[in-house]
Amino acid sequence: MPESCEASVTLAGDLHARPAGALAVAAAKFSSSVELVVGASRADAKSVLAVMGLGASSGQQVTVRAAGPDAREAVDRLIGILAEATKVGG
Amino acid sequence: MSDRAMVGIVLVSHSAALAEGTAELAGQIAGGIVTIATAGGTEDGRIGTSIDKVERALRLADGGAGVVILPDLGSSVLTVRALLADADDLPDQVAVADAPFVEGAVAATVTAAAGGDVKAVLSAAEEARHARKL
Repeated sequence: MPESCEASVTLAGDLHARPAGALAVAAAKFSSSVELVVGASRADAKSVLAVMGLGASSGQQVTVRAAGPDAREAVDRLIGILAEATKVGG
Repeated sequence: MSDRAMVGIVLVSHSAALAEGTAELAGQIAGGIVTIATAGGTEDGRIGTSIDKVERALRLADGGAGVVILPDLGSSVLTVRALLADADDLPDQVAVADAPFVEGAVAATVTAAAGGDVKAVLSAAEEARHARKL
């Protein structure tokens, strides 16, 4: 039974290329679809170029939405990466 | 997915510096776990391409899961095609990406790092044609 799940985090630093890469690598390992929402922009979390194209910066709220069998794990994992990886920038 | 060998990446450029710099960037973004081999410039260090360099890079990049090659422009494509048409004993699964060089390299390397197969890595590179950066 597919489930959907979402959670948000406020970025402590800009979402640079390296954290974007870490996010996309992590997201691609889940079978659920995963997207990031920042303001009016959305990106497929499995596409590093789309994630970088969000231009998400320090202080912005990022919502992670996932739908599929491992949606909850995907959201937990990506929120963790967003919280950790933007602490020192990249 | 991640316990298998990863797809390797070959960057073919007229410029050794361009190929190496792109490999450095893509490697860092993808966490440094993918083999990226470069074939930049001619054997004597000029701007151009070398079929022997591409062949060496292809063999270096192959870890058993196949290789995706990204050529930069024009005769890089011709050099890659000539190699694939003529050489013996190449890795089993080799694909050439029709993609922008930097964006394609980054997208391909990230997808390889996530355990994607040759088809997934190739399509990640080629989807980079549509990625907007602004």
